[in-house]
Amino acid sequence: MRTTNWNRFFIICVLASVVAGVAGIQLIRIQNIEGAKQILADSEAYQGINRMIYPERGSIYDSDGRLLAGNEVIYEVGLDLQAIQQPETVASVASSILGLDYARVLGYTQMKPGNGNPYFIVLDGFVSKDKIAQLESIKEDYSNRSAKRGEVRPNLNGLVWTANNKRSYPEGTLASNMLGFYSFLDRTDGIGYFGVEEAYDDLMAGEPKQVYSAIDPNLLIAIEEVPPGVTVQLTFNREIQAMTETKLDEAIEWSGAENGTIIVYDPETGEIIAMATNPRLDPNEYWNYSDLFPNPEPFNSAISSTYEPGSVFKVITMAAGLDSGVVTPESTFNDTGSLYVGGATIYNWNMGGWGEVDMTGCMQHSLNVCLAWLGMELGPDRFYSYMKSFGFDRNTGIDLGGESHWPLKLPGDGLWYEVDLATNSFGQGISVTPIQMVMAIGAIANDGKMMAPHVVKAMVIDGKQYSIDPVVVGTPISANTARTLTNMLVNSLENEASNALVEGYSLAGKTGTGEIATPLGYTNYSTNTSFVGWGPAEDPKFLVYIWLEKPEISIWGSEVAAPVFSDLVSDLVVLMNIPPDNVRLADKPGDTSLVNAE
Amino acid sequence: MEKAMKKNLLQAYKQAPWRTQIQWIGIFLLVLVGIAVVAGVYLMISGRAAAAGRRIQSLEADISALEMEINDLKTQYAQVSSAKSLSERANALNMTMLDPLEAMYIEVPGYIPPSQPVLAPPPSVEEISTPVLLPEFTASLWDWLRLKVFIEPSLPVESTESVTTEVAPAPTEVTP
Repeated sequence: MRTTNWNRFFIICVLASVVAGVAGIQLIRIQNIEGAKQILADSEAYQGINRMIYPERGSIYDSDGRLLAGNEVIYEVGLDLQAIQQPETVASVASSILGLDYARVLGYTQMKPGNGNPYFIVLDGFVSKDKIAQLESIKEDYSNRSAKRGEVRPNLNGLVWTANNKRSYPEGTLASNMLGFYSFLDRTDGIGYFGVEEAYDDLMAGEPKQVYSAIDPNLLIAIEEVPPGVTVQLTFNREIQAMTETKLDEAIEWSGAENGTIIVYDPETGEIIAMATNPRLDPNEYWNYSDLFPNPEPFNSAISSTYEPGSVFKVITMAAGLDSGVVTPESTFNDTGSLYVGGATIYNWNMGGWGEVDMTGCMQHSLNVCLAWLGMELGPDRFYSYMKSFGFDRNTGIDLGGESHWPLKLPGDGLWYEVDLATNSFGQGISVTPIQMVMAIGAIANDGKMMAPHVVKAMVIDGKQYSIDPVVVGTPISANTARTLTNMLVNSLENEASNALVEGYSLAGKTGTGEIATPLGYTNYSTNTSFVGWGPAEDPKFLVYIWLEKPEISIWGSEVAAPVFSDLVSDLVVLMNIPPDNVRLADKPGDTSLVNAE
Repeated sequence: MEKAMKKNLLQAYKQAPWRTQIQWIGIFLLVLVGIAVVAGVYLMISGRAAAAGRRIQSLEADISALEMEINDLKTQYAQVSSAKSLSERANALNMTMLDPLEAMYIEVPGYIPPSQPVLAPPPSVEEISTPVLLPEFTASLWDWLRLKVFIEPSLPVESTESVTTEVAPAPTEVTP
């Protein structure tokens, strides 16, 4: 009996072991056949997903930390066709809230997913928060309704919305010529156009990353952080920019000019304090670009438009003459009213002669003949060497997208003639951009040091802020020459009792009236009027450059651009907190500072 | 005495063989209970890992949503305090631009003009570069035991991190 029991027990154990062994072997075999490997590989598709994460685009702030370009939440509303239970209800609500055609949406909702049809259809990629709130309200209302037996409660299953970032420019058109715009309608391949958005596009966009996120909680790994794009802080103050744009708009309206540009620049650092042009695009509606800027009109004329500047260029010629030692402020010139050069005769603006004048007088009366003579005295080699030193043969390198320049004609070029030296000396026959003029004349206001113009003051990269240091791009003239010329231009403005003067402030400046070249020659009824001025003269904090194109009320820069300078600087000194000379020069530097009590 | 007790026990087992069977059954049940305990612990840890995983996913989604909300609020604030809207409010209050000659300037000894605004977030505690999810939440019980009992003790301290990453499943490219 005992043996029988043991035998039975032994047999059961053996059988169980065999069964278990066979099952084990089978398990191992199944796990290693080709099909099993395929199943395993397929199963990984359900363990997680690889997603491309696009970082949040970096913001843009003004010098005081006010937001100029940021991101706002916008929603993408779509149909998950597999989840739709009530096509009519979904179509009715979606079409009424989103303003879509009911029949079209109904067609989508009744579509069977798969077999060539999509599983998800985007109805609208840019839906505002208000509309989403309405959808949420309706959804909640439906879910709170009670249904009697046999009744079906309405639902919006299958109508889904997800939040996304959208580029937003809260100041509208303000400084849009410097900001540029980002093509946010293209959610994955949008890029920055013009201005800061273009120049810093790669940095502000950040690095999109392929990120794996597990669905199976047992396989969960930490989702990799995708750092936002670089945030930039600009050099200009929003209030000064707004004031400058207002002054420009008023000047255009008052003068009847076709277009205008005003640049306010810090000659000591190269920072752009303001840059106003027209027209200005609202970057929130960048799709209006082609309407506002029909070809070939540039987006930002301050850096892209070239023109013959006229007499403001005499500042450069005089700087070269003084720096080379060809003339001194006291040097005299006997102005007969004309000068024959290279087969052409140069005349003054009033076609008259001014007799014996010193160099300050030449600048004060803006004598073409005097400056043409000075150019000839310098000779082509020295003159154009100075032009290159002042940067007229290249872009300034300002950190804005879209800068361009007109090639400088040089002796030896096919298109250069001897008369060009004479005409270039008083700003005709040479094309420049306003920003080139600003950078070059900035050297005269900054003891001979020419600073690289720039609009980005600082950047925030990975949570750390980095300041941009000013860059000296050259020293075309000596400090002594720069101070001498500044004093000459202060005196010439005061002697002339110029419309550009601002009571209480010593300012240096020069008017400009440039004739416009046409296929039939230069016109004398339509001009480019300009003014360049800087101050306070003893320690310049700003340089203002004004260009008004084809004004109607007058052809002269002294009558059109100079008063605009005076009007602008009157407000600029308040906003920049620069006291009048009598207050400022009485101040003891070092231990006290002056504060505008108003 | 001892000899007699041993003899009695052997006799008792011979007279009642079911005692041996009970002994075997007891051992079998003990093993069964052991397996059940291990399975229970495994289930509990798996459950906790799953719950923690879901919570982390949810928190990450919350962080993302909050960051978007913060940006949105910043933009809204910038819109309502834009230069244009402030200018309109100033005009409505009959405020005008100051004439520079009417401005009164006063000396403030020791006054330091406001410095450049800092846009970067304030410095925080330096993040420690350790895995956010510990291997306890990502490894199977067997992997975890193997790591703690066999691998970690045999490794130098500084190479621990590389081992933890080794245990985590490698991400694979899949189609959503």
